[in-house]
Amino acid sequence: MPRGQAGPPARNARIVTSSSPAATTVIDARNVRLTYGTGDAAVHVLRDVSLSVLAAETVALLGPSGSGKSSLMAVLSGLERATAGRVLVAGLDFGTLTEDALAVARRGRVGVVLQAFHLLPTMTALENVAVPLELAGAPDPWGRAEAELAAVGLSHRLHHYPSQLSGGEQQRTAVARALAPAPALLFADEPTGNLDAATGAVVADLLFDRAARAGATLFLITHDEELARRCGRVVRLADGRIVSDQVA
Amino acid sequence: MNLALRLALRDLRRGGRGLALLALCLFLGTAALAGIASLSAAMLAGLEADGRRILGGDLELRVSQRRATPAERYAMARLGPGSETVTMRTMARGTSGEPVLVSLKAVDAAWPLVGRYVQAAGAAAPRPGRDQAAVATVLADRLGLKVGDPLRLGAATLRVSGIVADEPDQLGEGFALGPRVLVSADTLDRAGLVQPGSLYEVRYHLILPRGADGKAAGERWVARFRDAGWSATPAEEAGRGLRRGIGQLGQFLLLMGLAALAVAGVGVGSGVAAYLAAKTRTIAVLKVLGARAGFVAGVFLAQLAVVAGAGTLAGLALGAAVPWIVAAVAGDALPIVPRLALYPRPLLLAAALSVIAALAFSLPALARARAVPAAAMLRDALAPAERSVRVTLAVVGLAALLVALAIWTANDRGLAASFAGATAALLGVLWLLGIGVRRTVARLPHSRRPLIRLAVANLHRPGAQTDRLVVALGLGFSLFAALAAIDTSLSAAIEQTAPTKAPRFFAIDLQPDDYPAFARAVRRVSPGARIEATPSLRGSVVALNGRRVADMKDLPPGAWVLRGDRTVTWAPTVPPRNEVVAGRWWPRDYRGPPLVSIEDRAAEALGLKIGDRVTVSVLGVDVDARVAALRRIDWGGLGLNFAIVFSPGLIEEAPHALLAGVYSAGGRDGVVARSVAAAVPSATMIRVGDVIGRLGEVLAQVALAVRVAAGATVAAGIAVLAGAVAASGRARRADAVVLRLVGATRAQLLGAQAIEYLLLSAVIAAIAAAAGLGAAWYAVVQVFELPFRPDGWAVAGTLLASAAVTVAVGVAGSLPVLRVRPAQALRDA
Repeated sequence: MPRGQAGPPARNARIVTSSSPAATTVIDARNVRLTYGTGDAAVHVLRDVSLSVLAAETVALLGPSGSGKSSLMAVLSGLERATAGRVLVAGLDFGTLTEDALAVARRGRVGVVLQAFHLLPTMTALENVAVPLELAGAPDPWGRAEAELAAVGLSHRLHHYPSQLSGGEQQRTAVARALAPAPALLFADEPTGNLDAATGAVVADLLFDRAARAGATLFLITHDEELARRCGRVVRLADGRIVSDQVA
Repeated sequence: MNLALRLALRDLRRGGRGLALLALCLFLGTAALAGIASLSAAMLAGLEADGRRILGGDLELRVSQRRATPAERYAMARLGPGSETVTMRTMARGTSGEPVLVSLKAVDAAWPLVGRYVQAAGAAAPRPGRDQAAVATVLADRLGLKVGDPLRLGAATLRVSGIVADEPDQLGEGFALGPRVLVSADTLDRAGLVQPGSLYEVRYHLILPRGADGKAAGERWVARFRDAGWSATPAEEAGRGLRRGIGQLGQFLLLMGLAALAVAGVGVGSGVAAYLAAKTRTIAVLKVLGARAGFVAGVFLAQLAVVAGAGTLAGLALGAAVPWIVAAVAGDALPIVPRLALYPRPLLLAAALSVIAALAFSLPALARARAVPAAAMLRDALAPAERSVRVTLAVVGLAALLVALAIWTANDRGLAASFAGATAALLGVLWLLGIGVRRTVARLPHSRRPLIRLAVANLHRPGAQTDRLVVALGLGFSLFAALAAIDTSLSAAIEQTAPTKAPRFFAIDLQPDDYPAFARAVRRVSPGARIEATPSLRGSVVALNGRRVADMKDLPPGAWVLRGDRTVTWAPTVPPRNEVVAGRWWPRDYRGPPLVSIEDRAAEALGLKIGDRVTVSVLGVDVDARVAALRRIDWGGLGLNFAIVFSPGLIEEAPHALLAGVYSAGGRDGVVARSVAAAVPSATMIRVGDVIGRLGEVLAQVALAVRVAAGATVAAGIAVLAGAVAASGRARRADAVVLRLVGATRAQLLGAQAIEYLLLSAVIAAIAAAAGLGAAWYAVVQVFELPFRPDGWAVAGTLLASAAVTVAVGVAGSLPVLRVRPAQALRDA
C-alpha cells in the first residue's frame, strides 16, 4: 500500500460493534486513568473516567483549569494513551493500537480543532486542508479542500499562508481541515479561546453548523457556559473525575 | 510524485531557511574535499599530459660521472634519435666577482628533442654557442648580468648570450639548488669543468618509434647494461619525484579536508537538530492528521536530501572549479601547469563522503523527530530521550563506512588510517572535554554580577551548544596551533643547529691536488676555520648478498639507499658524529678485501647484517664488500655524513674528488667564497644557509597549502558557531527583553554576549593549545626526531587570532538581540 494512504487498522486492533443499531456509540470509555510520572512524582490526571457518546451527539466538556479536560480529549482522540481502562472509538480499541495505527485510525474518523489553531505555517490554507485528505488517499483532495474552505467562507483566502490570515480565519481553516475528511468525531479544545467575542461566535456557529451538516459527533471543551449550553449534553470534570453528566 | 516528497517540497518552500547551516556545512566540507582532490588530480594529469616535454623525449637514460661508451652510443642510436645533456653544480661569477652556486646544463645541438627552448627578448643568439651562456632571470638579477656581459664558470670566461625564458625539460631534472646556466656541450668541454671525480649527470633523451613502449625499452636497456649504473625513465613516469610529492601532499591535504568534513558534520548535526526541534509542532500536526512515524521521517529525510544535495552540489561545483581558480590566481607559482578539466573520480569521492557524513550526523535528530508524539500538539511533549540501539548502530556503521572509504581510496592507506584514527581520537577527546566544560561551568559559583552570571549561564543552559562548539572550533584551533608549533620547532631546530654545529659551506668537486690551495684560501680569510675533507665518489648499490637490486620487484620501505646513485666514501677511522652500534670497525691500516659500514637504519630497512655482502657499482665497476660495521649517525649537525663507508684500499684507485665541510666564522661567507673562487676556480662552494633558505621556501609553500586546508576546518567550525548563535537566538531575545525591562542598556547586553564568547574562546583556546601542542610534539619528536622547541608567542598569537574571530562572529551574530524592542516582543509573545 502506498505510504500515506488509509489502510486497515492494525492487526491487533479489536473491532467492537455497538449493541444498539439505532443509536451507535462512537465513544465508549471505561474506567480510564491517566497518570504522568511514577512513585511520589506521579500526577493522576484522569481517575476512573467512564463515558459513552452516541453518534451525532454534541457534548460539552466543562471544568476548571487542570481538571483534565484536554487530557481526556487527548485520550479519546488517540493523541494520548490511557494508563488504564478501555477506550473504544468508532469501533476501535485505542488501547491496543500502536502510535502508527492510532494515526491511521484517526484518518476519516477523528478531526481535531485546537485553541492555538496549529496550522502548518509553511503551507497555504488550501494546502493545510488538503493534507489530511492526501494522507488518507482520498480522491480529488484539492477540490474537496477548496469546497471545505468555501463552506467556512474562505474562498478568497485559499492561497494565503497562516501568517497572512487573521485569528478567526486561521481557526476557520482549522475547522475546515478537521472536517474535510468527513470524520465521525470532531474534537474542539477551546476553539474560541484565542479569539475575540464576535469572531469567536462566528467560529462557534460554524463548528455547530458544519458538524451538524456532516452528521459528526461534536466533542467541545470549553470554559464558556454559554457555548456549552448550545450542546445537547454537558459533562463536568473536576480533579480528573466526571462530577456531572446532564442531557439538555 | 511521492506524497512524502510533495509535502517535503511544499514545506521547504517557506520553511527551509532553518536548513541553511546544513547546506553551508556540507558546501564547505564538500568544496574542501572536492577542491583538494581535483587540484591534485589536475596537477598529476598536467604532469602526465606534459610527460614527453617534461622528460625531454620518450625515454631518458641517465648515468652518473661518465658519458656513454661507444658501444652504448651505438645501441642508443638504434633505439631512435637522441640528445645528450650534462648537468652539474658549479660556481658562476659576474663582473662583481661574487661567486654564486649555479646549476649548469650543457646541451648538444639536438636539444631539445621535445618542446621549444625560449629566451627573453634581446638575446644575442637563439641559443648559447661556443663560449656563450644563457642564464636564468634570477641569476641575471643577482649578479646584475645582461646580454654581452662576461660570466666566469670555474676557470673559463664566457659571455652571456641570452636570458632563459622557458627550458622545456627543466622540471624533469628535479630539485635544483642553484639557478640555471645553459651552455653548449663543446663549451663545457673547453671550460674544463668536468674533472676526474666531478659530480655530474649525463642524460640521453630519445625519441622512440611511434607506438614503442618506453617503459619496456628502458627496462631492456638497464638489463642489457645492468652493471653500468644506468637508470631509465619513460615519459609516462616523468617528474617521478614531483609526482610522488604532489601525490603525498594531495593525500595529506585530502585528509585535512576530511577533518573539515568531520567538523562540518558536527554543524550538520546541530543544524538538523535545531531545524527538526523547531518542527516539533508540524510533526505533531501531521501525526494528528493521520501520518505514520515512518512517513513523517520520510518527509524530513526528503527535505534533508534536497538541501544536502544542493549544498553538496554547490560544494562540488566550487571544488571542481578549484584547478581553474588556482591556475588563475597562482599559476606562476605552481611547479607544473594543472590540466584544466573535470575530474569525476575525486568529485564522486567527495560527494560520497559528504553524503555519508550528512546521513551519519543527521540520523540521531531524524530518529528523535520520528518519535515525536501526536500529543506534542497539545503540550511541549519531548521525544523519548533514550537512544535507540538501531540508530546508534546505524551511526557507527556509517562512520565506519566513511573512514573505510577514505582509507580505501587513499594512496597511502597507512597514513590515511593513522590520520583518521588520530582525528577520531581528537574528536572524541574534544567531545568529552566539551561535555566536561559544560558540566563544570554549571557547577561554578554564581557571580554577583548579573551580566557575567548570564554569560556563564548561556554556556550551560538547556539547548546550549558548548560541547559541540568545543568539538567544531577545537579541532580547527588545534590544527592551527599544531601547525604553528611544528613550523616554529622546525625553524628553531634548523636555526639553532646550523650556526653552532653545521658547516658554513660544503665544497664539492674539489680535486685532491687542489686541496692544499683550497685550505690555504679558506684559512687566509678565516684563520680559525676547520675543514673536514673526505673523498667522495658516486656509486649505486647493485646487489645485496648476490641478489641484483634490478631483479627486486618491490623495494622495502626505507630502502632509499637502493634508489639511484649515492655518494660513497672510504675512511680509515670512524667518521665524526658516527657511532658503531654493531660489528667492528676495520684497523686504521687495513688493506684487505673491501669492507663496508652501513648506516644502522638503512641496514635494518635492507635486512643487512654483519657479514652480509653488498655490491656497489662505482664508475661501472662492481665493488663487492662485506658488511663489517653498522653505524648510528647524528644527522642533526648537517655535517658530512655517508650511509655507505668503505674501508680504504681497492676503492682508492677509482678517480674521485674531495668533499669538504668548511666550519668558518659567521659573517665571512662572501669573503671565504671569493677567496676560494680565486684560488681554486673549479671548486664548487654550496653555502649551507642558501640550502636551508631554499628548503625553507619549499617548506613555506607546503605549509601554506596545509594552512589553507586547515582553514577549511576553521571555516566549518565558524559555520557551526554561527549556526549555534542562530539556534539560540530565541532564548537570547527572551533574555534581552527581560533585561531591558529591568533596565539593562544595549551596551550591557552587548557586554554579556562578549563575555560569553570570550569565555568560550578562552576555554577552546586552552584545549586547542594542549591538543595542538601534543600533536605537534608527536610530529616533531617522534616523526622528525628533532627537539621540541615551539615558539610560544607564535602559538599564542595563532590561538589569540582564532579566539578573536570566534568572539567577533559570536557577537556579530548576537547583534539582532540589541535591536529587540521589549514592548513589541511582549506584544508578540
